[in-house]
Amino acid sequence: MTHKTYPRGTVRALVETDFVTPATRAVLKSRLVPDDAPPLAVSKPRFFDAEAFDILRAACARLIPQADRPRPVDLAGALDERLAEGKCDGWRYSQMPPDGEAHRLGLRGLNESAQAMFDLAFHVLDASNQDEVLLAVQRNEAPGRTWKTIPAGRFFEELLAELTECFYSDPLTLEEIGYVGFADAHGWNAIGLNELEAHEPRAVEDTADGGARDIGRR
Amino acid sequence: MEERETSDEDELRRSAAISLQDQSRGMRFYSTSEAVDAVVIGTGAGGAPLMARLAAAGLSVVALEAGKHWSPARDFATDERAQAKLFWNDERLSAGDDPLPFGNNNSGTGVGGSTLHYTAYVPRPQPDDLRLYTEFGVGADWPLRYGDLEPYYDELEHFLGVSGPSIYPWGPPRRTCYPLAPLPLNGAAQLMERACAALGIRTSPAANAALSTRYFQPGVGWRAACTNRGFCQAGCSTGAKASMDVTFVPLAIRAGAEVRAESFVTRLETDREKRVTGVVYVRNGREERQLCRHVFLCAGGIETPRLLLINNLANSSGQVGRNFMAHTGLQVWGQFAEDVRPYKGIPGALISEDTHRPRDTNFAGGYLLQSIGAMPITYASQLARGRGLWGAHLREHMRGYNHTAGINILGECLPSAHNYVELSDELDARGLPKPRVYFTNGENERRMNAHAEKLMREIWTTAGARDIWTYPRNAHIIGTCRMGNHSVNAVVNSEGRAFDVPNLYIADNSIFPSALSCNPALTIMALSLRTADCFIERSRRSEN
Repeated sequence: MTHKTYPRGTVRALVETDFVTPATRAVLKSRLVPDDAPPLAVSKPRFFDAEAFDILRAACARLIPQADRPRPVDLAGALDERLAEGKCDGWRYSQMPPDGEAHRLGLRGLNESAQAMFDLAFHVLDASNQDEVLLAVQRNEAPGRTWKTIPAGRFFEELLAELTECFYSDPLTLEEIGYVGFADAHGWNAIGLNELEAHEPRAVEDTADGGARDIGRR
Repeated sequence: MEERETSDEDELRRSAAISLQDQSRGMRFYSTSEAVDAVVIGTGAGGAPLMARLAAAGLSVVALEAGKHWSPARDFATDERAQAKLFWNDERLSAGDDPLPFGNNNSGTGVGGSTLHYTAYVPRPQPDDLRLYTEFGVGADWPLRYGDLEPYYDELEHFLGVSGPSIYPWGPPRRTCYPLAPLPLNGAAQLMERACAALGIRTSPAANAALSTRYFQPGVGWRAACTNRGFCQAGCSTGAKASMDVTFVPLAIRAGAEVRAESFVTRLETDREKRVTGVVYVRNGREERQLCRHVFLCAGGIETPRLLLINNLANSSGQVGRNFMAHTGLQVWGQFAEDVRPYKGIPGALISEDTHRPRDTNFAGGYLLQSIGAMPITYASQLARGRGLWGAHLREHMRGYNHTAGINILGECLPSAHNYVELSDELDARGLPKPRVYFTNGENERRMNAHAEKLMREIWTTAGARDIWTYPRNAHIIGTCRMGNHSVNAVVNSEGRAFDVPNLYIADNSIFPSALSCNPALTIMALSLRTADCFIERSRRSEN
């Protein structure tokens, strides 16, 4: 199914209105970075060493590609920070070591697999070869000694889930999928199929002349 | 963008939400060095109702809660990340062939416990749920009957303000109606209703403990109607959802109970006769000890057995931590041509119990069906974990978020020797052993899941879904301190009293002998009130 896109600017237009509660506004604004802000300098890792961080950044770029985003979400930096602060989300697979160690080992394993499959470090491979390595790791089929100590598929799942959650907590990512659930200070009255309220964004469809056409229905 | 003026209705909601927070003003405080009648550990669906009941009977009650006492209107954002503070985030180790996620999946922290993020689905079990062994020769019977719980269901539905249909199509005839009209059907519910009608499956608006209109609660005050925020699983900021912090907790405080938040219990101290004499907990980094005459342990299906195992208490049966159950909770998702906007309305507005005891099946028990909405981060995370989508595929699928709707089941899970909670040798930041939880779906659960998946896919295909996919899942943590009639194979009796420790009671999902084919919260509350009433009655008899 081809999906629609949603107009830009929805989140910024809503965030200062009374459709958003003060508690929600504070959270959204803490994550909203202006599009014209200078590009983010590569953050200096606190938890990972430089090599592991290079591998992580390369993996992030394939797992959650953001080439279309003027200011990509710093996924690698967020994971590094979480691990440096020793935070956890309430559970881990018993067969995995604690989160920090699991990620260090997993990134080492990813690199071993890249070396075994293509004779190069993971972060210098081209995109399609990186994808091949990642897929092998996801399917538990990747070569490398480290995968004898931690299950490759579980490492992949943990990494992917964390990056995904981080990416979709960014207000501009939510804008991309047309989510405005945060603009709920007055609640919702139109909740049935195809029922939209005035402040819910309508999907737009690219037309032949390059313009956008409103296809939302009331 | 057009801005609306704040209406009177909004103002009412705001003031109702704020006034609920004033309930802890004027709270009574008890000295730690004088024995109180009851210490309650945990303030969720297990602890809060009995706390209110005991305090109303004139007993001195102190509740110890590990988490904070939130002010929902001020502290709750409509943001999944920010609301992770409501989950039990101390690490648990998940083992077995179907290891369970914890955190946002099933355990809460804060005054109100998991009810801070429950969906407030409150179907009653059906009477045969309590007699699974008699009916099928597997699982366990409950040591009490539906009739023992029924008056509590009646009472709870009226106290909480449950919204539901005027005639509920399943189960025995009801003595009382739901006090409020059902909440409106959202997109997912309409899709499910349409398809089920075509397939001859009966559906009904679900019973939900969120208010469809404003409601006066004796001893608490007015609570405002649900505004269809659809964010029940990450915290209700309006007080419309009957979480314990806006219902039984203020009632208990008004009756003279003290709620001590941010108090993490580590030890239960006993005398030579194995009676609990005091409860040790950590508050503000310091250890404190509350002396008491009785303890009500209501910390949930993992922390309750963990605390007993750490303290080597109440386990002569060897059953503490055993019989761990997690409902079958398979979800089937699809994307539709229609605009669904799955962030609006209570997530599970429509229910069917036609599958309570489906014919021509090869499994014991049954399940119910519910329509489900989705919060974006949770849904994306499930796509990553359950379907393994990444890269451009993930982002492309997520662009269809507004057209996404789901159905899930909630079904029986049999107790089994291979599913249990134990203490690991890994210590947490407090120096206490982390719990390790083993879970593997058995043959019965696998058969039920297969039956349900086929049916749900058929429903979604009929509704016009494309890109249908299944997310394997189990929900709720049940049954690690089972109740029964004999001390040899149960931890507590039918009143929740520990066989080994005469002044220790347990009231939470850990005492369920079987999982029930419905959501557990209403039954946890019913057991909690019943345990309190039995206790009060027993105390009165011994005084006379």
